[in-house]
Amino acid sequence: MTDELINRLSADLEPVPPRALERRIWTALALGALVTLPYAYIVLDLWLGRPFVPLMGERMFWVKFVYTLAFALIGFAAVPALSRPDGRIRWPFILSGLGLLVALGFGTMRWMESDWIMPELMGQTAMVCPWLIPLTGLPVLAALLWAMRPLAPRSATMAGLAAGLLAGGFGAWTYAFFCGEDGMMFMAVWYSLGIALTAALGAVLGRVLLRW
Amino acid sequence: MKPDSTEQRLRGLMLASLDGDAAAYRVLLADLTRYLRPWFARRLSAAHVSHAEDLVQETLLAVHSRRMTYDRSRPFTAWLHAIAHHKFVDHVRRHAIRPTVPLDDDAPIFASDDSAHAADRRDVEAVLATVPDRTADLIRQTKLEGASVAEAAARHGMTETAAKVSIHRGLKSLMGRFAGGGK
Repeated sequence: MTDELINRLSADLEPVPPRALERRIWTALALGALVTLPYAYIVLDLWLGRPFVPLMGERMFWVKFVYTLAFALIGFAAVPALSRPDGRIRWPFILSGLGLLVALGFGTMRWMESDWIMPELMGQTAMVCPWLIPLTGLPVLAALLWAMRPLAPRSATMAGLAAGLLAGGFGAWTYAFFCGEDGMMFMAVWYSLGIALTAALGAVLGRVLLRW
Repeated sequence: MKPDSTEQRLRGLMLASLDGDAAAYRVLLADLTRYLRPWFARRLSAAHVSHAEDLVQETLLAVHSRRMTYDRSRPFTAWLHAIAHHKFVDHVRRHAIRPTVPLDDDAPIFASDDSAHAADRRDVEAVLATVPDRTADLIRQTKLEGASVAEAAARHGMTETAAKVSIHRGLKSLMGRFAGGGK
């Protein structure tokens, strides 16, 4: 019975090139990013009426640029490792937490300097920003989860969380091009919340979709 | 016991398999089967030990379909253990939610697994063969099958006293022969 299975499996053997897993994830990410270009334009600009205005002259744009990209990169590093049965790493999540603390620290300082005025925290769009970031990150999240289905994560939840972090970071990065907010505290709270929501969504979906 | 050589051997086979060497793959899977069967059997409770073969097959299937997740630069046995462990935990969870031991009222609650004692049983039969048939029967019925002396005596159409004497003599002769007494 088991011998039969062995015969069947060895007849079915196809070579697996080195780093096949990484390449699979990179391909999915590239596809998701490619879809995000028109998707973000259609959803954010045409549908929700938020014009594509990268405020490249402003320092805050670049802070958001780096901050969000950092989460995407952390997720990017974590996804392949957490997609393996023997993969067990925590540093990406610890690092994300530290990044959040640093941002909150700087945000609080800037907020204090401006005498705790509410607009520094709430801006104009605090109530939509955390929802639009997951929405923007959706194509990447879907592509990643789809690509990760035939993998074997040690914990489906953690793998989903890492995918969500990558998608959330990327979604927030993309969203920054459509966002005119310039408060440091605004970014530290609402951007982080948007990324965290995407990560949580990834964890919940991963728990179901990435079981094996 | 040289775990390093096992790791090296299996890892070599795995790397060859990933490059498409079907012969190496066949050897690898056969090796894994031999290695995993006792690994699972040791971890399963007596009631589930028959699932070991299923778990071996599930693990082989996972090794096959998810071999992409093996990182060539890392130890193979660690990867394999992670998969086997995953399958084992999965099995335990499934059976914790839906236990498959039927609790029929008429089933003996403390039923023991006889197969484990099969060897002992054979020894007993060999020993009993050295006393007269009727005595052997009486001993078997009263001492092994739990019949009372009266029942056993009735089955052989003898009085209870005669049965008792017969059993006593039989056991005594057996003890003299097998209990190590130099009488």
